[in-house]
Formats: sequence, C-alpha cells, structure tokens
Amino acid sequence: MPREEYQVPTATGASASAISRGATGGERHDSRAVMTYICGDCGGNVTLSKDALVACPHCAGRVLYKERTKRMVQFEAR
Amino acid sequence: MAPSATNTEWDHQFHTLRRQDLFRNPPKDHSAYPALQLAVNPHIESFNAIFRGDGKPGLLAHGLADIGTKVFLDGNDRAAPESRNKLYIRIKEVTLQKPQVPPSNKLAVNRDIYPAECRERHATYRGKLSATFEYSINGGDAIEFTRELGQVPIMIKSNRCHLEGNSPALLVSRKEESEELGGYFIVNGNEKIIRLLQVNKRNFPMAINRPSFTNRGAGYTTYGIILRSVRPDETSQTNVLHYLKDGNVTFRFSWRKNEYLIPVIMILKALVETNDREIFEGLIGPMGSKAASNTFLTDRVELLLRTYKAYRLYSKSETRAYLGQKFRVVLGVPETMSDYEVGTEFLRRIVCVHLGNVNVTEKQDLDKFHLVLFMIRKLYALAAGECAVDNPDAIQNQEILLGGFLYAQILKERLDEFLGTSVRAALRDYLRRHPAVNFTSEEFRKEFPGGIFRKSNENIANGLEYFLSTGNLVSASGLDLQQTAGFTVVAEKLNFLRFISHFRMVHRGAFFAQLKTTAVRKLLPESWGFMCPVHTPDGSPCGLLNHFAHKCKVMTDYVDVSSIPALVAELGAVETSSASTDESVVVMLDGKILGWCTPKESLRIGDCLRYWKVEGSHNVPLELEVGYVPPSHGGSYPGLYLTSTPSRMVRPVKYLPLQKEDYVGPHEQPYMSIAVVPQEIESGVSTHVEFDPTNMLSILANMTPFSDFNQSPRNMYQCQMGKQTMGTPGTAIRHRTDNKSYRIQTGQTPIVRAPLHNTYGFDNFPNGMNAVVAVISYTGYDMDDAMIINKSAHERGFGHGTVYKTKKITLKDDSRTRAAKSVVKMFGFAPHSFVSASHQAMLDDDGLPHVGRMVQEGDVLCAYHTVTPDYNGNLVNLDGITHYEKYKDSEIGFIEEVRLIGAESGSEPLQTISIKIRIPRSPVIGDKFSSRHGQKGVLSQKWPAVDMPFSETGIQPDAGALHGLAQDSTPFRFDEENTAADYFGHQLMKAGFNYHGNEPMYSGITGEELGADIYIGVVYYQRLRHMVNDKYQVRTTGPVVPTTGQPIKGRKRGGGIRVGEMERDALLAHGTAFLLQDRLLNCSDYTRSWICRRCGSFLSVQPVVSQFAPGKKKAPSMVRCRNCAVKLDDSEGIDLTEIQGEIWEDGQGHCWVGGDETTQVVVPGALKFLDVELAAMGVKLKYRIDKSDEPRKGPMKPLKQITAAA
Repeated sequence: MPREEYQVPTATGASASAISRGATGGERHDSRAVMTYICGDCGGNVTLSKDALVACPHCAGRVLYKERTKRMVQFEAR
Repeated sequence: MAPSATNTEWDHQFHTLRRQDLFRNPPKDHSAYPALQLAVNPHIESFNAIFRGDGKPGLLAHGLADIGTKVFLDGNDRAAPESRNKLYIRIKEVTLQKPQVPPSNKLAVNRDIYPAECRERHATYRGKLSATFEYSINGGDAIEFTRELGQVPIMIKSNRCHLEGNSPALLVSRKEESEELGGYFIVNGNEKIIRLLQVNKRNFPMAINRPSFTNRGAGYTTYGIILRSVRPDETSQTNVLHYLKDGNVTFRFSWRKNEYLIPVIMILKALVETNDREIFEGLIGPMGSKAASNTFLTDRVELLLRTYKAYRLYSKSETRAYLGQKFRVVLGVPETMSDYEVGTEFLRRIVCVHLGNVNVTEKQDLDKFHLVLFMIRKLYALAAGECAVDNPDAIQNQEILLGGFLYAQILKERLDEFLGTSVRAALRDYLRRHPAVNFTSEEFRKEFPGGIFRKSNENIANGLEYFLSTGNLVSASGLDLQQTAGFTVVAEKLNFLRFISHFRMVHRGAFFAQLKTTAVRKLLPESWGFMCPVHTPDGSPCGLLNHFAHKCKVMTDYVDVSSIPALVAELGAVETSSASTDESVVVMLDGKILGWCTPKESLRIGDCLRYWKVEGSHNVPLELEVGYVPPSHGGSYPGLYLTSTPSRMVRPVKYLPLQKEDYVGPHEQPYMSIAVVPQEIESGVSTHVEFDPTNMLSILANMTPFSDFNQSPRNMYQCQMGKQTMGTPGTAIRHRTDNKSYRIQTGQTPIVRAPLHNTYGFDNFPNGMNAVVAVISYTGYDMDDAMIINKSAHERGFGHGTVYKTKKITLKDDSRTRAAKSVVKMFGFAPHSFVSASHQAMLDDDGLPHVGRMVQEGDVLCAYHTVTPDYNGNLVNLDGITHYEKYKDSEIGFIEEVRLIGAESGSEPLQTISIKIRIPRSPVIGDKFSSRHGQKGVLSQKWPAVDMPFSETGIQPDAGALHGLAQDSTPFRFDEENTAADYFGHQLMKAGFNYHGNEPMYSGITGEELGADIYIGVVYYQRLRHMVNDKYQVRTTGPVVPTTGQPIKGRKRGGGIRVGEMERDALLAHGTAFLLQDRLLNCSDYTRSWICRRCGSFLSVQPVVSQFAPGKKKAPSMVRCRNCAVKLDDSEGIDLTEIQGEIWEDGQGHCWVGGDETTQVVVPGALKFLDVELAAMGVKLKYRIDKSDEPRKGPMKPLKQITAAA
C-alpha cells in the first residue's frame, strides 16, 4: 500500500466499528467478517470466511500469514 | 558472457563489496563458503549411505540381507515340521520417498514439502517408507507385494531431501539460508541432530585389562581381547576373549542383552575342519620356530586343547551341530533348520561378522579362524606381559558412530522386529482363530498380505520419529551400545557459532558421564589434530564432550582396497607365522589377516604403501590408513594394520618425500613423526609436516584471535562464551519458528580476525560489536568481572538485541492420540457472546491478535470457542462462551508474526496458530558481556558520556562502530624474537599512540589527568544471552506449598530462592539473628497457631462454635482444648450452678467446660505438618510454652473443680 493511500482509521471506517462498539463497554459479538491473509507459499491474498478450510486457493499453501494491522499502532518508545 | 564460477578463496580482509554482492545475488552455481558444508558433510553422507544412489547396495540393503528369510509354519505346533506348510517371507527392498503431500490433498499443485514449511508448521520433515516383501509357500512361486510402513524423518540436504545439491540462489527461494548446511532432522518443528559418539575401533582386536572381567566367574582374570566386529550394514557385534587363570580362553558375546560364554576351541573347530595340531601350530608357529620353545605359551595351548577334550566333539559338523542345538532358542531360528544349519547360522551372525555376514564362504570361515587364532595369540602375549594394553579411551583405538549409521541400525532392527515378531504374532493369532485354514488354502491367500499385515503394527516410522524427538533408543538388542538415552540433541540456532559446533561435537557416551574415575576425560596426545584440545566445556561434561579439529574429516564409505592383498603378498607377506613377534608380525586389512612378515619387512611394506597411496599409484587409495605399529619391549602389539573402513577420522598433512597431501588416521599417527612447523622437521625422522599449526583447533577455537597469547583456560572459556553470545542466528529468521531465538541489532564484523573467519563465512552472522575498551586495573576499581558502558554508546545502539519467542496454540487434543479427530474448538469469538471492550480491542475479528500490537502481561493473544456439528454438519457454537489464551510473560512484547497453520491434507478448518512475539532487549544493568578472550563482565553502570574519562585524542571508551584495518589474528604467527606486542606497539606509535597501548586519560568530571595511564584499545565485544530480565527473582509473599506453607520453588511460578544451610551459617556467623528470623520464618512459613498450654498440643484445640453468631468468616474468638475440657453430656447430674468456668459448645452441639488454657503462638508451618505426620504414626509431641508449663510427670490429673462438684 503506498503511503498516500493510507488513511487514518476513523469512526466511519469499517474496521472502526469494533472500536466504537468497544467504547460502549462490551457487546454481544456477532458472526465475524471475512478476513484476508497472505499465503506463505505464493504470496497471494487469501480470503477465509469462518469455518473455511485453511488452504490457499491458488497453490494450496498450508501456511497463511496474518497481515500487519492497518490500525494505528502507537506506544511510548522508551 | 558466461558468469565466472563463484570464488571460494578468502583471506582476512573485510571484502565488503564482495559480500554485499553475495547477499544481493546469491550464487547460482555453488556456495562461496565450501568449508562450512565440509564441516557438516559426515552427517549427510552417513545418512545418504542408508539408501545410496550410486548403484552400490545401501546400508539397509545389506541389513535386509542379514535379516534374511523368515519361515512360518501353519497347523499344529506339536506336529512335525515336515508335515506342515511353510511360508517363506523376506523383505526384498525398502524405499524411502522424498517428503510429499499425502494423496488425500487434491488441491496441491506443488506436491513437494520443503523443510521451511515443516519448521513453520511445527511439523516433521518426513518421507514415506515402503517395503517390498516377497513370499513363497512351500518353496513355490515367489509373490511380491508392497506395504507402506509410515513416514520416516529425513535429514536435511540428504539424498532424500529436496534441498540436496541446491545452489544458494535456489535455497533462498526455498526460504532457507543461502548457506543452508543440512545434516539435521526437523521433528515437530525442532531441529534435531544425532550426536556423534566415540566407540571402539572396529575390526581391531584390542588388548584390555579390566578388573570387572573377574566378575564373569571363577577363574576369570582381568585380561581380555575385545573385537568390535562391524557388519556391512554398520551394525556391530562385540566378541570378547577372556583369559582364565589356568591359561584357558573363553569366547564371550552378548546377544539381545544377554551374555554367553563358549570355549574358544569350540568356535575354532566349528569354523573350519581342523585338528589339534593345526590349532597348536596356528597359535605357536611351525616346529623349530622360536616361539615353540616358549614354555609359557606351549603349556597354556596344551591345556587349552586338553580341557576341550571333555566335550568329545571332533569334527566341524559335530561342533556346529552342538552349537546349533544350544543356540537354537537364543537365535530364534525357524524349526525347519537342522542343528548343523543353526550352528552355521550362529557363526554367521555372531563370530567375527565383519569377515563374512551373509552367504559365508569356506574362505571367509578360514579368515575368521585365522583372526580368532590371532586374537588368542595377542591374549597370551598380553597375559605374559609381552604386550601392553590398548587404551580404549585413546582416540587411537576409537572411531565415530555417525548419526546416519545409527539411524540405519535402528531402521534395520525395526524391520527385523516387524517381520520376526509382529507379523509372526499376527499370523499365529490368525491361525488360532481359524484352525482349519492352512497356508495353501484359498481363504488364506485372500487374507494373507493385506489382512494379516494390517493386524501387525506396520507403523515402523513412528519409532524413528520417537527416537529423534526424545533421543531414547528402544531396542531389543541394544545395538551394541552402552547407553539407551541421549542420542539426539536440539541444534539450537542461538548464534551461528553454536549451531555449527553441534555438528562438530563428539560425545564419549552417557555411560562415561557417571563414571567416578576421570581417566576418560583426560586430554591425550593421540588426539592431536583430531579433537580440539581447547573446545570442551567446563564442568560435568568436560573431556567427554569434544569437538573435531576443523580439518578433521570422518570417512563415510569404504575406500577401494581390492589391490592391497596382492600388493602385500608381492611385498613379502607369507602365510606361516610364529607367536614370537621378533620373528613375525601380522599384516592385517580391516581385521582380515593378509599375511605375516618379519618386523623389518612390515616397516618396508608400510613405507611402500604410504608412498604409493600419496603418489596415487598401484591403485592404493589416499585415505587408506597404514597403521604401522613397530616392535617394542612390552609396548603395543606390533603389526601392520591397514584400515579402509568408514567411520574413522582422517586429517590432511603434508607427506615430505612427495611434498603432497596425505591423510593420516588416529591409529597410525602415534607412531609417525609429524612436524608441526617446517622448522621442526628432523631429517630422516620426520615423514610429514602439518599444513598449518592451527589445524589442530576446532572451528570455534580458531576464531579466538591470537589464542596463543592467552592464558590457556581463557581459550576454553571463550569457546563456551562464543556459543552463548547473542548473535545473528541467520538471515531466514522470518521463516523460522524457534521457541526462543536471540538476535543482536547492531552486529559488526570484528576488525581483528583470522582468515578462517571468512572461510567459514562468519560475516554472514555477526556476533558482536567493535568497541573501545579501557581496562582499569587500578586501586579502587578492581571489582571482579564487572564493566560499565558509555551511556551515549548505549543510546546509539551498542549491544541492543531482540528476543523472539514463538508460541504455538493448538485447539487439537494431544496429537499422539489420533482417536478424537473431530473438530471441537474453533478460533474466533463465539457468536452472540459477551465480549468485553478491552478484549475486543486486543484482537481482530477472527479472534487472532493484530500483527504489530504491543502485548503486556495479562493481555489476550487469541480467542476460541467450542463447537458441535449440527444436523447439517455445520459447526455451531452452543454455549456462547468465548475463551481466551493469555500472554503470561511479564515483559512487554510485540506481535511480530501470526501464522495460520493448515493441515497437510488441506481439509481442516483453522486449528493451530503460531504467534511470534518480539521482545526488545536493550542492555540493562546486570546483563553479561564478554570480549573474545574469555573475559566476561556484568554491566554495572551506564556511565554518562560527559563523566567518562577521555584520552589526549579525545577517545572515550565504549563507543561502538569504529573503522579499522582488518587484522590477521591467526595464532602462531609471532614468537619470542618477533613479538606481537612489538608489532602492534610500533603500529600504535606510528598512529600517534603509546607503544604499550597505555594512554594518559583525563577525568570526565574534573578534567584532571588520571594518576595512571590507562590501557585502552579496540576490542570485539559480545553480548551474552544471560540477561537479568530472564533471571531476576523477587519475592516477599507469593505462592506456597500447601502442606508446609513454605514458598514454592521456581522463578516461573513466582517462587523464592532457598536460603540453604550454608547461607544460614553465614547469617549466624554474622550474628544477624533478626535477618535470619525474617528469612526463615517471617518470609517463609510463618503461622499463628493455637496451642493448649496444659497438654502442650496443637492438635487438640478447636474453635468454639457460638450459637448466636454463626458468622463463618470471623476468626475464632475463642479456642478451647477439647482434650483438657470435660464434656457435660457425659457426666450426668451435674449441677450447672456449681460449675466454674464458661461452658462452650462444639460444632456438634455438645457442651464442654474447661480446656481454656489455650494460647496463640507463632510457629513454622512445617512444624505443625511434622506434628500431624508424627501423630499419624502414633507419636505425640508436647510443647512447653514457657517455664511454668513444665512437663508433668505421671498420669494426667483430672480436673479438680468438676470432680469436686460431682
């Protein structure tokens, strides 16, 4: 992702819904969204839904990596 | 333009650009560091020998020939064997495939499984093992069938691995290091190597004097001859000859962990058709020889032959039949064999197996006969004191048991066991259940391979995986080894030095570790050039765990010696011999007697063979070992012992007559004159010269700069500390999942280095930093092993490191039990469950952590929930509860990688994840550092740069990142005339520094010149992995052992450190009683406890139960002694008004009076525990609270008040 395309997540963003929900102090959790991973073998994107079999559809790779989060990661560097 | 081949020559310079190019463009032809691969090759080659690719039979093929054909009989056990049908079965061939995806996975395009995937998936790198069986019934047509025997772990870079012969470029594309070495196995994601073991030299009769030999029975002496005879499949059988007091000799061997003794003449007579005269002359020599007048010998041989007469066995067939009858059950041979055949089988399997193991010919039996005669001769020489014992602890009489060979031995034994035990049991079971069925019937034909093999435990591979993961050897025969555990170790990739050392490590055997005597640990001069004298750990494994010298090579195959017997005969070896070593000495090739000659001739034969082998003429191989043992007075038994076998060590030295490379072995070396440096060559004496004096050092010991200037133990310490350094484990860290891995952030190449540093490519794996170090040994500063670092250097990144921890989280049950295969848990939040906001923020929608997130103690790492399949087969959650896995470490970490691990079959939902957590570790006070000279220090201050003393040129100590000229640091380059101090002193002077390196320095605080010149210079500094953050232990209160109330043990669980007897003594001696009480009582099992002063017991007191305030939480306000009280209900007619004292009630509603002399005391909890334990045994303890509670003599008096009232 080029640097220009990066957008600081806001409350209107899709992933921010979790945060806003979190702010209310606990929530009944609904079924999860479809997630995207990276295949360890071919490097392609793999979309897995809940209960899906773990295998890359392109190369049947058996190891998938989770992408680095798009959320802001911020902490005090000491 | 064709690219030129990658250069493999290196000197001591930095070669920055060349190395950068190697990194950016990994070579497509071969590695630039071939020396690294050579160091590991013995492991790989030994594994390759199991299944060879060059057309020659592999070790397992030899093993299958040794296993031979098994015969099973049907019908009634009591019936004669002739009347029953026979089933002949043998294993024809065993094949091992490269690791592949199972056929159940339909999706996979590339079906190969690479090692990197196994590391990432915490799986085992293994291939399918299958065997082709061949059977025939009653000698009919042979029928073949193939069975699969499970998946066997495969050694990386072996000929069954996909990485064999890969170029660095290809290796990088397969997620490996560019310099991947192989030589290890991957078992459950861990890298395991089979340790090399030192064992007795094969096929060589060793003279031994061992006191335990007398335990064999009455008459046994301490003398014996041990022959470790090795079959072509590398399994060994030890034959021992024992000398008895009366001069008799017995033959001992062990079979399936049991020992057996046989008169040696019986073996001789069974081997060949012979007579007493032939044996007599074979032992002593022909009539008229010098030995014939040796009455010591003739007397004993006569007795040997006379005592054997009692057996009344004369011919070969009689003797073999006798042996066969005795050993039929022991050997487990089929019932169809005659006694004579069993006797032949016995000789084939047990006696001198290296001379003939399968299809033994008459010629081979004759060789065995001659060898046994030679052994008897050597034994008599030993008993007579004519020859010295051979030291089994000297490397001269040792060889190396290679991992691949051990692996082959286990595999062979498993196959033998499978056919001989499992299949036999399955067949017998089948026949018992179907008594009517016989082998010739149609019913049996339908059932035979499939049904019966399925019933026997076919998974042979499982045992090998168990062996590799635990290092335990489960074996019926014991494989002729002295230990059953500790065969494998994890090849830790802490840094590259440690990793490479694992492959050069040789262990003497676990048996010797528990030996009280230290003789085995001794560094013997024989080891020169084979074992490194420096590189052995301190402490318990010292001298038992050695490392190869870096030029030492282990042979993994036989060299071609087909021309040797003819050459030896041509040079004058004859068949007749005499027992006197003045007259004739033996010429032996791999334990086979080629002939005999005079001692003078043996020297000539030896010299000729050596010249030819170096010259490469007469078809004499270069690696042949020409062990010439010269005649001496009471020294080693003389002879010419030629060796061509695998498993022996060899090393290159220069042969002076031809100025060419020669390989020498440990057996010949002690009798050779090898000059260390060319100046040492003595004309007419020296035959060889070392290529380099540093050849005797291991790879690691060679990395210590100028090690010849160090105090000798410092070199040993450096070899240890080099292996504990926080360095760079590799370049493929992304694809590794070690449980714990260390990495230095600011690694540099050392300025002072030997050319070998580049030859072994250590710049690819930096291990430390160049730093300006001032050594202050001045009054007031002489603290032991301490150091400070410049705070500014620290802030610039000096010594910064990282620890990676990988945590595997699996929702499957224990993988060993395959029974529960269904999915019962899933990752993610349970639908419609309550999820707290904090947990929601910590995890992504899939229940896994965000990559890059900071985690602290107590944070959740992942979420999962239970599922059950509904009627559609969909997995649904019913309970609506989300479970979490927590991060338990106290340190802050960062999620580096999250891996989703799929099943090999590709048909499972997510069940296993692996999370790699990065923990930053900047140097803190208490961390350990060292130079490369065994000089360790613990960081005690981060000293501010402004306060740091500085030299006249403004140099401050401990600044990282310096420039310098690469300096060759090979040891032995300087001597007394031409000293290193002078060489470098002049260089320093030229650069404007002090000749001795002592610079005047100025205080950073006052600016005044210090009272002494400080020794300062640039040194390569290593950060060691011992860090306070992993070690500190603090406790005031915390978890306790429930029985005693004392603190529990262990840092992980928040326990304490024991204040032991010695610490107690120290505190007592200092008179610090209060501190002692604090440690031993207040911070330990301090317990307030009620006690009865009257009866002095903890056990009889009980709290009073009040009727009106049944508050359970309240501490008992009143405690009474039940023993001293009187129960009111028992004594009828008491006038309640008369009673003195308070009436109290127990939990059952009974009323009591008295027993109020209780009090509260503080005691150790362990004391109360002791009291209870003793009470259980009927021992009562009585405590005296103070002087007034003197123990009462005589029986207890009854309570006065109450008796008066009654």
